[in-house]
Amino acid sequence: MKKNLYQLILPAVLALLPMAVKSEYFLHLMILFLLWVVIGSSWNILAGYTGQVSFGHAAFFGVGAYTAGLLFQHLQVSPWWGMALGGIVAMLIGLPFGAICFPLRGAYFALASLALGEGIRHIATVAEGFTGGMMGIMIMPTFTSKAPYYYIALGLAVLSVLSIRAIINSKPGYYFVSIREDQDAAASLGIDTTLYKNISLSISAFWTGMAGALYMNYMGFIDPNVVFSLHDYSVMAILVAIVGGVGTIYGPAVGAFIMVAFQEFFRTGFFGLFDYLGKATGSPAFTALSGAVRQAHVLGFGILVIVVILYLPNGVVGDWEKIKRNVFRINPAG
Amino acid sequence: MKGTAGKAFVVVAAVLSLVMAASAGFAETIKVGVLLPLTGSLAKFGEIEKRSYDMAVGEINAKGGVNGKKIELLFEDDTGKPDVGRSAMEKLISRDKVPVITGGYASSVVAATAPVAQQFKVPFVICTGSSDDVTEKGYDYVFRVNPPASEYPNAVKSFLQGVARDVKTVALLYENTAFGQSSSKSFEKDAKDLGLKIVVKEGYQAGAIDFTPILTKVKAANPDMIYMVSYVMDASLLMRQSKELHINPRMFVGGGAGFTLPEFAKSAGDASDYVYSATLWVDTLPFPGARKYSADFRKKYGAETEYHGAEAYATMYVVADALKRAKSLTPKDVRGALAATDMKTAFGPVKFVSYGKKTQQNKLDTYMVQWQKGELEAVWPKNVATKKYIYPTPHWDRRR
Repeated sequence: MKKNLYQLILPAVLALLPMAVKSEYFLHLMILFLLWVVIGSSWNILAGYTGQVSFGHAAFFGVGAYTAGLLFQHLQVSPWWGMALGGIVAMLIGLPFGAICFPLRGAYFALASLALGEGIRHIATVAEGFTGGMMGIMIMPTFTSKAPYYYIALGLAVLSVLSIRAIINSKPGYYFVSIREDQDAAASLGIDTTLYKNISLSISAFWTGMAGALYMNYMGFIDPNVVFSLHDYSVMAILVAIVGGVGTIYGPAVGAFIMVAFQEFFRTGFFGLFDYLGKATGSPAFTALSGAVRQAHVLGFGILVIVVILYLPNGVVGDWEKIKRNVFRINPAG
Repeated sequence: MKGTAGKAFVVVAAVLSLVMAASAGFAETIKVGVLLPLTGSLAKFGEIEKRSYDMAVGEINAKGGVNGKKIELLFEDDTGKPDVGRSAMEKLISRDKVPVITGGYASSVVAATAPVAQQFKVPFVICTGSSDDVTEKGYDYVFRVNPPASEYPNAVKSFLQGVARDVKTVALLYENTAFGQSSSKSFEKDAKDLGLKIVVKEGYQAGAIDFTPILTKVKAANPDMIYMVSYVMDASLLMRQSKELHINPRMFVGGGAGFTLPEFAKSAGDASDYVYSATLWVDTLPFPGARKYSADFRKKYGAETEYHGAEAYATMYVVADALKRAKSLTPKDVRGALAATDMKTAFGPVKFVSYGKKTQQNKLDTYMVQWQKGELEAVWPKNVATKKYIYPTPHWDRRR
């Protein structure tokens, strides 16, 4: 009962947020957060549930973004049509890749996916005539206000999480998990493992491509280093899922919130808190601390990931019981 | 899980309200937002620009500030990434409510943030980000002090027309970045206008470890001129390996960027001798305060500056000048004042004009420099030259 109540309240709060919060800056952070919910959840269905760790999700994200951008660049088609197509094109890239690489297992599949992401980035860089190369694609965003983008991102996030939840709780979902747990056993039970891996990859690529297309529409600028970035997308997708909880439905959403908040928290020196303290107390130590914190955000990411892996190997959601027990001293047993 | 999110929200809200309360207390200054890459791979240039902004504001405030008010710079780190840059831009506009924003280094960050400034109608005075299309969209709240990348080779073009008329064939090598690709494209067009034949055209991944395959191709084509668009480590490696392979064109020309930095000469050694480069600025140019700026920078920070720093320094003066002339400190009036800018700075005369497809773009001359005995000398156009150009480049065997 309590759980159902939460499930109603959270979407309601998120839906009403733009009416209550007028800060465009805050909405921008929320949009980034929602985008990461989509990307993290997509990565999670392939890696967390099906056991196929991908280091190349930037490929799907970038292909989605470029679908929208190129349609506009070459055919003057509104990039919103690209949103409809972005996910499908990402899927079309994923299918032959999956067909070729799914016979590979474990680390070999991960390496192949890494090559996919980097390979597409190089192609987009070198094919200057088609993609504009590193000069990228620039469009004027359609809406001045953030609210439409926020609702689209919210819709995308809710749909992706719900659809993934529905799949995981259905028969294919159990197949995915059985492949993750023991591929040979799954095959011996008659599961077509390559087919189901491909299905999982297609779902994953589709939602990631949609997120990419939304990114193009929202940010108005892409270039190969931005959207095919190994560090900013492929690895961040993994971090979002690991921090939140690999193989849990809501883990990537929590991870997305933590990562976006964490980055902004550091980048702004705890939202200007240290600068304020420095001015209020006149102590140069706070100002210096503020500078140090700002520069340390990459280090902060590293430490966060190490802490999570050491103490919460199943992520915040996966180890929620452990957190309740040890941090909040709540012991359900008594 | 919803519990955590809830708690995090409360914490964020508490911190936010603290900060907002804080900003109310210091209303006596004029806040100017500055967007720069202070961390990440572009941090080196961000640092030079930040120091130059700080220096300029220090001087302006020491002389009484703007109409009695001091300028306070709010630096925001864009980390060289468009989405982070956008967060920073949104923060400056909607939280800090600054009347004007400046900075902007990476082309990608500028391309993602300029539309935001335009949509919120807050003037953005771009200091560096040089991709052409930013000032081709008709944005009336976006100004650019830096010339667009396509105009960097202008001085090279006039040198080819005026002096190196015997150059007929060109090899074009460039890094695969926005700057490299747009510079090479515009140079290709210039070469066509001049009737030059491009015999080799090769893009490479920035940070390459060996240029021998590309340079072997260049040697086989034996061009009269090699034009390279590279950052500093690639630039010095290209020259060292050209020396090893004994490639002897009539001239080696760099398209700005790495070829003008002191580190280039240090790392390429005598292979850097006689290399030309396009540049936007050297401190020997006859602009008011140019020499003083580079001397002061050296004294204050114990490091060399270069054209990016001069740009930032001059841009700050442009912004301060507009704030001084603005009827009020609203973004709209500051924009009006910026549009009327007509001043001389250490970086050259600044005036925002429209030409071709461009609007509110500062038009600047570009220059040619040449390394002579380890010193960077201005050689073209003649009226700003500190030394006479040495042309053609001596054969590797005949150098002493």
